Formats: sequence, structure tokens, C-alpha cells
Amino acid sequence: MRREYSKHWSMAKKTKVDIAVDFAGRRLANPVFTASGTCGYADELADFMDVNRLGGFITKSITLKPRRGNPTPRIVETDAGMLNAIGLANVGLDRFIEEKLPVIAKMSMPVFVNVAGELIGEYTAVVARLAREKALAGFELNISCPNVAKGGISFGRDPEQVREITSAVRAAAGDKILIVKLSPCVTDISVIARAAVEAGADALSLINTFTAMVIDTETRMPVLANRTGGLSGPAIKPIAVYLVNKVYNEVAKPAGIPLLGLGGIRTASDAIEFLLAGASAVAVGTASFLEPDCAARIIDGIRDYCLRHNVAKLSHLVGALTAPSSLANG
Amino acid sequence: MDLSVKSAMAKGVFTATVTSNRRIRACYWTMDLEFAGAGAKAFAKFQPGQFVQVDVSGLGLPAEDRIPADLRDVSKRSILLRRPFSFAEVTAGREQTCAELLYCMLGPASMRLTTLGRGAALSFIGPLGRGFWVPPGKRLALLVVGGMGAPPIRCLAKLLRAEYPGVNVIAFVGAKTAASLPFEGQFDEMPEQIDSYIPAFAKFGIPSAVTTDDGSAGRRGFITERLAEWLDEQSAGSQDGTIIYACGPEPMLAATARLAADRNIDCQISMERRMACGIGVCQSCAVECRVEGSDETVYQLCCRDGPVFEARTVVFRTRAAIVEEIGLVKAIQEGQASPTGDEARILEALEHGEEDKS
Repeated sequence: MRREYSKHWSMAKKTKVDIAVDFAGRRLANPVFTASGTCGYADELADFMDVNRLGGFITKSITLKPRRGNPTPRIVETDAGMLNAIGLANVGLDRFIEEKLPVIAKMSMPVFVNVAGELIGEYTAVVARLAREKALAGFELNISCPNVAKGGISFGRDPEQVREITSAVRAAAGDKILIVKLSPCVTDISVIARAAVEAGADALSLINTFTAMVIDTETRMPVLANRTGGLSGPAIKPIAVYLVNKVYNEVAKPAGIPLLGLGGIRTASDAIEFLLAGASAVAVGTASFLEPDCAARIIDGIRDYCLRHNVAKLSHLVGALTAPSSLANG
Repeated sequence: MDLSVKSAMAKGVFTATVTSNRRIRACYWTMDLEFAGAGAKAFAKFQPGQFVQVDVSGLGLPAEDRIPADLRDVSKRSILLRRPFSFAEVTAGREQTCAELLYCMLGPASMRLTTLGRGAALSFIGPLGRGFWVPPGKRLALLVVGGMGAPPIRCLAKLLRAEYPGVNVIAFVGAKTAASLPFEGQFDEMPEQIDSYIPAFAKFGIPSAVTTDDGSAGRRGFITERLAEWLDEQSAGSQDGTIIYACGPEPMLAATARLAADRNIDCQISMERRMACGIGVCQSCAVECRVEGSDETVYQLCCRDGPVFEARTVVFRTRAAIVEEIGLVKAIQEGQASPTGDEARILEALEHGEEDKS
């Protein structure tokens, strides 16, 4: 039924609307990415949608060495969300280059590799090796994973460490775009955002998941083997929109740095909220688990929105949040 | 692991129409579905043991008086993720492919399924994963079912009868009680010997042995004990022509894997894990597997590399480890729990909870 509805609106596609955006100097055909860790290395989605329609793609986290990940249970559903504690399970740099990169090289949209590690040297080793690859547009620096014992979020909580890791990776990344992904689990996200921008980040993505816990009252144990996990899904969307708007006003707009907004997006209007809050592009995460072609439907929906609202150029929407009159009047 | 048998068929998101949906006994329900068009083509090639991801997020709850008292609390939970199910029977026709979804009403997702009537539409992602396969040279297939493990084994029974007439098949079916056998029929007067008691297998000419934990149907005890006893009664000799297929709670699968390994019998088991996507991207459904010729283990994905695995490759946590992990040892030591009651509850939580209650 959802399909018939979108068919009805797809007449919009025939009319010309420019939904291309500029993202850190790179032109994207549309502002919709898939979020790291929710769409693998893109080939898994090929049965469900034309992945080349995406504005951009971010891979599952890559670490220098392969990682097994955490024991199960690794996920648990909550009301309007889910917790995950995968533990950065991935094939490691060598197998990524051997097996996944050739697949990625065939894709036409810009691809960013999400990079994680326990030590700064691991991040820079991965980035320096991949910076030579023409097929890649850039990197997303994961300093906000809540599910690993070392590295991850421990980097992303301290502005000094953020500065240090960002500038080290910036130096290794050559001419590639460097996105730094921020955790919401900090006292003032703008402090962290500012540290990343000052150290050379070309863009910021926010937000990663919230550290959270679910307890099984029958066994009185945490449900996840890792005890805690990262909360994602519609439940976190209003907080994500607020934090994007805060970072846009306090850091990104003054510095002229684009934001990639994410957290609970599953419809085009969710995506538009993030754009209005100040994101230049958005990423679809948990919603792809329900509807593997969710990102494609959001792209169509954004086009329809622009038509209905006479938006000639999508970039006009970025940060175009209108203050309520009570606030505007002081 | 032989991945050459892994299917390369197209999977996708398909809508099916409900043609009937009724309670068969206790908490068990059966829903008949009809796929048309591309869905009919995709599911015509459904292999027994493969699964689907069902979207129940848009379905409403049953009327309050139809929600069992013990499920009132969980009924308040909202649904975000799809739920994995395996079909019990699939029949490909000229235009449509019909599928039977056998399910147990035990949580907020499955209780929503009970509200669907004839003509309702339901979204499925599938067919997913790797199903059961029949290695060459098999002459005897032993089907082992524990409770809600019935659907993929029923689907396999049909395939074996239709395409492998030379293979003898016997079903070994275990449940907690007569009432919790997830089949249609009357089971309270069931004697102990192997015979055609379970209509779902008998209709394919497959006899069954039944056990229940309380002896209310068939023999009292675990089905794995019954299977081991039966195997030991057979004349000794090469077991090359024999294969065991099993689906049920993990402790039962572990016992089945052990008894197969002890007797050097081929064994395939269908595993279950919490999963979000079903298509290999969320990485949540890890199954620890041995690497052949080494002491190492790797995590494989239940949704992509399974759900059917060769039993000898899977690493099971022992019952003692499970109980210890859940803190029961401490609880018993502190006198807060009695071993038997809590163990039963924990095993039940492991059996059912992973699927739905959370």
C-alpha cells in the first residue's frame, strides 16, 4: 500500500527539482546517505534497491585488524527503538581492500569508509592505506562507538583527544574528505564539535547512538551480553534534531562546515526536519532494517516535498528553520 | 562448510494476502498466505529452513479480553523491527504460491498477527538464509522437532516425500505437554511406540515418535533421549546413509548435535538468534562456529550463513554455562531460588524470549 502511495506522488519526479547538495566540496545527487553499520558494504542491499541512487554511502566500521564482535544477544528492541552492541565486528583492513573495495569501486555515488580503532595509530594506519584509493570519497571517523572496551567513545568524550586524533587522521587522509562522527553522550556537544573542526574535520556527522541498557526482570540480568548498547531508532530523533540545530548554530554555520544529520530518520519529513535544523545531508540507519529500500523512498519523498513547497533548490532548506513568533518577538 | 549449495535466488520485499488465520490449540495459530506475481515466483523456490522477516509494526492489538493475562504487560510494547519466521509449508501453483505460517502467540508481535483476517495484507522480506539440504547417498532422514521448531521440519518433510522417494523418514517430536504440541489433532491418548500419530507428518506417510516432559502424550522424557535410544536399537554398522535434521530450543539442538557426533551421523540444525535485518547487515545474529582443522572459532551470521548449520560446526554454550551466566548459581546459593523451577523458567525464557517477548 505504501508503494501505491509513493507511485501516486512519483509524478513529482518528472518535474525538475534540484535536490543535489554540496557536501564538503563534493556534489551529491541528493542528500541521503545510509548510516554506517546499517547497510554493510552496499552489495547486501542490491536485491532491494539501486544503491547508486543514494546521495552517499558510509561503510560498516573498518578496523586495522579483523574484529569478532561481542557475544550474543547483541540487540534488543525497545519502544520506538533498539539497542545494539555489535562490538565493531568487521573483516579488517586487508580483507576489506581485497573483497569489498572492488564492489565499492563499481558504485557511482561517493563512498565514505567508517574507520574505528583502539589507538590513534590504528586509525591513521587504516586511513593512510585507504587514502590512495580513487574509489573512495573520504572517511567517517568513528570516535563515538559506545560498545567497545577501548577506543570508540572514549576518544569522543574529551575535546583534547578529539583534537589529537582528528589532526592525526587529517594528516593521513590526503585530499579525502574527513567526517568526524559525534557522540550525543557528552555534556556539551558543541565543545567536541569545535575541537574536531579546529583540528581539520571537513564535516561532522551526528548523532551516534546513546548508551543505554535493558534489563530482563525475570532473570534480573541485562538483556545484552555486553550489558549496555547504543540506542537508535525513532526514539532518539527529537534529540538528534535538537543537537544538529545546536551544533549548526554554535559551530558549523560560523565555520562553514557541513553537517550530516542522523538519528531515527525513517520518512522524508524526518529528513526534512534535519535539513531545516542545519544538516546539509542526512543518513538513514535503523529504518533500513525494516525497509531495506527506505533510503530510496526518502529520496523520492524529499523531491515531492520540494515540489509541494516550491523549493527550487534543496540547499535553500538547510538551516532554514523559522523561529516561532513568540521567540522572534523576543 | 559447503557453501556451494547456498541459494542464489532473488530475495525481496513482497506482500502476501491472508487467506485464513485461526487458532489450532493452546497458543498455536496457523495462517495461510498467498503470494502473487514476483512474490509467487520468489517463494516458489523457498527451501525448507529458510525464513522470512514479517512486518507487524503497523498491526493493531487484539481486543483486551482476548489478550491472555500473562501477556497484558508485554502487549503495551510497541513494535519496530520485523520478526523472523520460517514457513511450515509452501505450495507453488501456476499463478500463486501458498505458504503456511505456524506461530505461537507469546508476545507483542505474534499477538498482533492473530488480529488478521481473510484478505489482509502482510509484508515479508524473503526468502532468506540457507535452508536444509540433502547430501547425496542418504537413505534415512530422522527429523527432530522440539516444540515450536516444527515449521521448518514440516516443510522439509514435504520436500523429502516429494523429491526423495528413496529416503526413509521418521519424525521425533518433543514438547513440554500434550497441549503444547504445535500440531492439529488429539494427542492425549498417544501410546509410546512409533506410529502415524501426528497428522502433519502422517499425511506424507511419515511415522512419528512423541515425548513430552510430563508424559501427557507419548513417552515421558526428552525427545533427544528417545532418539538416542532408537538409534542404539538399530543394527550397528555404517551411518553414512543416515542424516538427522533438527529444529527446536537450543539445549535440544545441543543435545542432538552431541548424540549425532557421538555416533558419527550427519546432522543439520536450524538455529535461532535475535536479529534486526535478516539480510546480513546488522550483524546481530552471530553464531559461534568452529573453523575446520583448527581450534579457532568464528562468528557466522544466523541470517546469512544459516539458519541451518551443520551441527558439528556450531559451538554451544553448555547448560551449566547458561545457568551460571544468568546468575542462577548465585541465586541458589543465596537461597533466593529453587533450582528446578528457575531452571525451567530460564530455559523457557531462552526458548521463547529470544523470539518475541523482549
